[in-house]
Amino acid sequence: MPELRFLIVDDFSTMRRIVRNLLKEIGHTDADEAEDGVVALHKLRNGKFDFVVSDINMPNMNGFELLTQIKADDKLKHLPVLMVTAEARKEDIIAAAQGGAAGYIVKPFTKATLEEKLANIFKKMGW
Amino acid sequence: MDQQPHEHQTEIFQRLGRITRQLHDALNELGYTPVLKGAVDELPDARSRLQYIARLTGDAAEKVLNRVDEAKAEQDAVRQHSQQLLDTIGAVPGLKWAMPELLEWSQKIQHGSERTDAHLTEIMLAQDFHDLTGQVIKKVVALAATIEEQLLQLLLESAAQAQSEAAPQPASLAAPAPAMRREQLAGPVVNPEGRTDVVTDQSQVDDLLASLGF
Repeated sequence: MPELRFLIVDDFSTMRRIVRNLLKEIGHTDADEAEDGVVALHKLRNGKFDFVVSDINMPNMNGFELLTQIKADDKLKHLPVLMVTAEARKEDIIAAAQGGAAGYIVKPFTKATLEEKLANIFKKMGW
Repeated sequence: MDQQPHEHQTEIFQRLGRITRQLHDALNELGYTPVLKGAVDELPDARSRLQYIARLTGDAAEKVLNRVDEAKAEQDAVRQHSQQLLDTIGAVPGLKWAMPELLEWSQKIQHGSERTDAHLTEIMLAQDFHDLTGQVIKKVVALAATIEEQLLQLLLESAAQAQSEAAPQPASLAAPAPAMRREQLAGPVVNPEGRTDVVTDQSQVDDLLASLGF
C-alpha cells in the first residue's frame, strides 16, 4: 500500500489527537489536522492529501458542507471521506452516504471499527 | 380579500404584544416577576458553570492523553527490550534448554507489554467522552443563552408596557433566527430508548447503509 497522507477534521482537539494516534497505531503516520471545514478545505486545496477523516458537527463549515465542497471540486472529488461523528440519526447517515461519503462511523467507536472501515475503503480504492 | 404580508406581520406582532401584556399582568398578579428576574440573573451563572465543566473535562482528557503517549512509548521500549532478550537467549547455544525459565519470563514480559499497550489504547479512546459530553454541553449552553435572551426580552417588553400603553414595535420582539444547519444537527443521542430515527451502535449504521446499497 502507498504511504497515505490523512487530513483529520474535528473541532475537538482531543478527538483529533485520538484519531491521529489510532491512525499511527494502524500504521499511518502522515497526518495533518483541521478544526473545521473551512480550514480543511483550505488545506486540501493547498496541499496533497489522500484521505479525509471528518467530524460532522463543527462550526463555520460542518462535515456535510465540507463533503459537498470536496465532491464538487474536480481536484478533490476523488478523495475518500470517512465521517466519524456523534450524529446518530438515520437521516444524517443516509445524507452522508448519498453525498458521497466513503464510510460512516458513530462515536464512541473502537480501534477495530476504524481499522475495518479503512480496510474496506482501501479495498474499494484499490490500495 | 388577501392581506399584504406586511399587514399580516404587523397583526402577528400586535397579537404577540397582547399576549406578552397578558403574560406580564399574570406574572405580576401571581407575584412571579421577581422570580422571573431571578431566573434571568442566574442563567449566565449556569452557563459559565457548564463551560467550566467543559473546560476542566477537556483539560483532564488532554492530561490523560499526554500520559498515555508517554506510557505507550515506555511500553514499546519494554517490548523491544524483551524481544532483544528473547533473541539473545536464542543466540546462546544451549541456554534456552539450560534455563528455560529465562525464555518463559521474557515471553511473559513481551505478552504483558502488548496487553498493557492494548489497555492504553482503550484508555485513549475513552477520552472521546470529552467530545461527546462537550457537544451536549455546547447545546445546553446555547439553549440557556436563547432562554435568557427571550426571558430578558419578555421582562423588558413588560416593563415598557407598564410605563406606556403604546403598541410594541415589531423590531423589539426577538424573532427566532433562521436555523443554521449546525443547529439542526442533533449531536450525541442522550436518550435513544424508544426512538426509531437514530442508531445506537456501529452495527446499526452498517446495516442501514447496507440496506440502502452502500
